[in-house]
Amino acid sequence: MPGFPFPGRPGGEHDEPLLDMIIARRALPPDAPEPMHDLARMLAALAGPAEPGELAGEAAVRAAFSRAASPVGISPAAWRLGRRRRPARYRARLATALIVVAAGLGSVLAAYTDVLPGPVQQLAHVTVAAPAPPSPARHSRRASRGWSATPRPSSSPASGPAPSTAQAQPAGRGESPKPSYKPLLSGSAGRHPTGVACGVIPQRWPSPPPKASAHPSPPWWSEGEKCTGIPSGPKAAPTLDPYVPLPGSGPRGGRA
Amino acid sequence: MIGAGFSLTLASAQGGDEIAFACLFRDVQPALLRYLHVITPEAEDVAGETWLQVVKGLPGFRGGEEAFRAWLFTIARHRAVDAGRFRSRRPDVPLATETLEQQTTPDAAELALEAISTRSVVALIKSLPRDQAEIIMLRVVAGLDAADVARIVGKTPGAVRVTAHRALRRLADLAERAGVTH
Repeated sequence: MPGFPFPGRPGGEHDEPLLDMIIARRALPPDAPEPMHDLARMLAALAGPAEPGELAGEAAVRAAFSRAASPVGISPAAWRLGRRRRPARYRARLATALIVVAAGLGSVLAAYTDVLPGPVQQLAHVTVAAPAPPSPARHSRRASRGWSATPRPSSSPASGPAPSTAQAQPAGRGESPKPSYKPLLSGSAGRHPTGVACGVIPQRWPSPPPKASAHPSPPWWSEGEKCTGIPSGPKAAPTLDPYVPLPGSGPRGGRA
Repeated sequence: MIGAGFSLTLASAQGGDEIAFACLFRDVQPALLRYLHVITPEAEDVAGETWLQVVKGLPGFRGGEEAFRAWLFTIARHRAVDAGRFRSRRPDVPLATETLEQQTTPDAAELALEAISTRSVVALIKSLPRDQAEIIMLRVVAGLDAADVARIVGKTPGAVRVTAHRALRRLADLAERAGVTH
């Protein structure tokens, strides 16, 4: 190494072990050249403790650390969540998928609760085995009574079957019930369906107390008769006889 | 160097202990600032940015004391490079006084009047070529091994060792001529 000032060392390669010792901050042997000792002292001073002013930024750095050391800021999980946040396009796709799934579930639920329009309900009946669309008579009855569209359970007598004039009509009057009402009648066969219906109605849907009206109801119109549909007034008396003689016809016994 | 208690100090700092973090700061900051004084004129600003990034990445750091120092000085070098790029885009900004000092060899008479202080040695090392000065600072001041320094500066460990030897010989020559070590 030309120009290298170490005395007695024509080449720089011989001082490499000493240079490695200086870099590693190990103590040099006493017989090392004096320039090597000087160099070691100089670098030891360079790696010395902090001098005045070198720690001036401590307050600012500690303040930044305090801000970041909040439970959210210092948590590794929070850092991972922050790094793994999905891009906007993935969030949009996820939102679209959620909306589609929610709409589908809502449609199926609406189909099973029988609130869809007739053609749509029929389609749901065919595709997802939803209940069949109600008959026009049922629709008109609902509309006239202002019921909610949700059907009430009819399997249990205690819950009270839906009152209907067709159901409450006595058998043998010449009117057969609608096909959709057959299960209702069969479930309450032999247990006085009319009486069950009348006994339940005032408890489940209590009517408001009667008010003084300028147009009072006829005196023969009572609360219990309203639900049965059986005319109990002076016009006609209920009968179980299927044969009702026409006005002007002769007595039944006369025909025999 | 903190030594055996580094793992506990680091864990406390990662858990939010400000005192533990202050211990880390006081242990590394002098070497960091001296290293940055050699490689960039904006040493204080770059040091602040480095610590901010350390604060952000501290919860996810895993490793010992040497790995922590290597990580921190890597961040510092990147921030210094960024500062140099920003400075190069604004040529109308006047050069700092330290930049002018870096371009000239320290005045021998002036250095001879000073004692062996940290500032005088840093000024002497700044007169070395850039790669030699940086490797000397990383190897001697930061206390990193040749492999870590090689990763930071983008050289092989053998090249780092050769460059460090060359830098020390030149530094000894400069110091003898300047009278710093006398």
